[in-house]
Amino acid sequence: MAATDIEDAPSRAPAPGEPHSLARVLRRNHLAGLISIACGLALWEFLSRIVVANPLFLAAPSQIFGAVVALAKSGELERHIAISGVEFLIGYAIASLIGIALGLTMASSAVAKQVCQPWISGLYATPTIALAPLFILWFGIGIWSKVLVVIFLVLFPVTINTEAGLRTTSPRLIEMLRSFGATPRQIFVKVSLPSATPFILAGLKLGIGRGLIAVVVAELFGSRAGLGRLISQSADAFNMPELFAGVVVLAAAGIAMTAGFGWLESKLVPWTRD
Amino acid sequence: MDARLNRGHGMTAKLTVSALTKRFDSLEALRAIELSVAPGEFISVVGPSGCGKTTFLRIVAGLEPATSGRVLIDGKPVTRPGGDRGFVFQTDNLLPWRTVLDNAMIGPEVAGRADAAARRRTLELLKLVGLEGFEGYHPRQLSGGMRQRVNLARALAIDPDILLMDEPFSALDAQTREIMQTELMRIWEQGRKTVLFVTHQIDEAVFLSDRVLVFARRPGRLQESVEVTLPRPRALAIKRTPEFVRYVDHIWRLIEDDVRASIIEEHA
Repeated sequence: MAATDIEDAPSRAPAPGEPHSLARVLRRNHLAGLISIACGLALWEFLSRIVVANPLFLAAPSQIFGAVVALAKSGELERHIAISGVEFLIGYAIASLIGIALGLTMASSAVAKQVCQPWISGLYATPTIALAPLFILWFGIGIWSKVLVVIFLVLFPVTINTEAGLRTTSPRLIEMLRSFGATPRQIFVKVSLPSATPFILAGLKLGIGRGLIAVVVAELFGSRAGLGRLISQSADAFNMPELFAGVVVLAAAGIAMTAGFGWLESKLVPWTRD
Repeated sequence: MDARLNRGHGMTAKLTVSALTKRFDSLEALRAIELSVAPGEFISVVGPSGCGKTTFLRIVAGLEPATSGRVLIDGKPVTRPGGDRGFVFQTDNLLPWRTVLDNAMIGPEVAGRADAAARRRTLELLKLVGLEGFEGYHPRQLSGGMRQRVNLARALAIDPDILLMDEPFSALDAQTREIMQTELMRIWEQGRKTVLFVTHQIDEAVFLSDRVLVFARRPGRLQESVEVTLPRPRALAIKRTPEFVRYVDHIWRLIEDDVRASIIEEHA
């Protein structure tokens, strides 16, 4: 008996005499993606400098890069990132904890589920970001109104995924554990929780994008500092390079966090690959 | 080939089933099952689909309550799953996030006895079922046959008195299944545990068993108990002997009408 995974790996180098096809070279070095980005930026630069040629409407990538560097040097970028970062992290952490706890409660009690389900489904479908002005009215323009908006946007996907993950635990695996005389607690720890982990991580991942939107939009409605504030300030001043600088920093944060989650998934739940 | 229901009866019976009945609402899944199994006996249960053979096994396992009647192991009534019975499932039901060794250790772990001794024993068992060198593999890296070996080792790891096997080889291809049958025989010869083996393969039942219980359907009931007196240890070649074929023919004739009826029903 041989392990099925020890199959001959596809050889990397082309066989002698085989032509180096362009497609093969592109695929191997992720060149296609890099070229795509480079072309996109070049087109953007061209459109912005030659076609639009109006700094009030569009900034070129080179100008945006310059703005990022200038903002970083003045320390202003750091200040905005710190404020938005704190708002995001506090809100995200609270929403994750409550979301997982709520999901666990709903999965373990039919009554709790009946009580919570309509609210969670309803609020998940509602664009609760529209409540941001109300929260600012209640809690002022400091960080706590933003934290609350982040919580509202991140909480529900985490709750829904946690509950779904626990609910869809394979009945066969539960039965297997039961055949060994496992207690409900043992079944939960040894089967339900590990098999729900990929779902919980997916919920948390979904929460990153929603959380970033929450921070920025809430700051647009009223704030003293933060990346959303930087963007709205720049828009008011028709300072396109700085507006885009804020957007670029947000995009980078989103990409970095999502990639970090991908790495976390490959470490924590490797069995869900392929 | 007389029905000898009371072979293991008396003080020595490992497993005794009396007047066992199971109903699912209006459906009578099992009616008045009587059975006595001696320690170390290998018993197979065959029958058409819907004859209640898996339900019977699940009741003995304590995974399902009986509607009436009794199941006794060493004279004590079965009410829930216990460490005296190891269940080998039709699907392997391995935990995908655990290695082969950690999967096989789940029984001792649940019982709170996952110590070094249990670990050593489980490693021995993995060797016994032919998985030496694969202890650190994950289920997704194994073939179907290897996963069923883990399934078997996992049940053996609690050192049960009775092994309950629910069509464990039905998902395997024909060649792998034959190999697994001989492997099971080899492992059983070493420990001589009491085995209750559910299958729909008549030749598999005859090859493995001391006794084949033939179940009928509507309601599920014990139709005949066929004693298999073929000499042990048995090799695959025995399947081509006239004696073996006679057993298979006899059992097939017992269930043929039922099987045809169940096929028609399934397509209705």
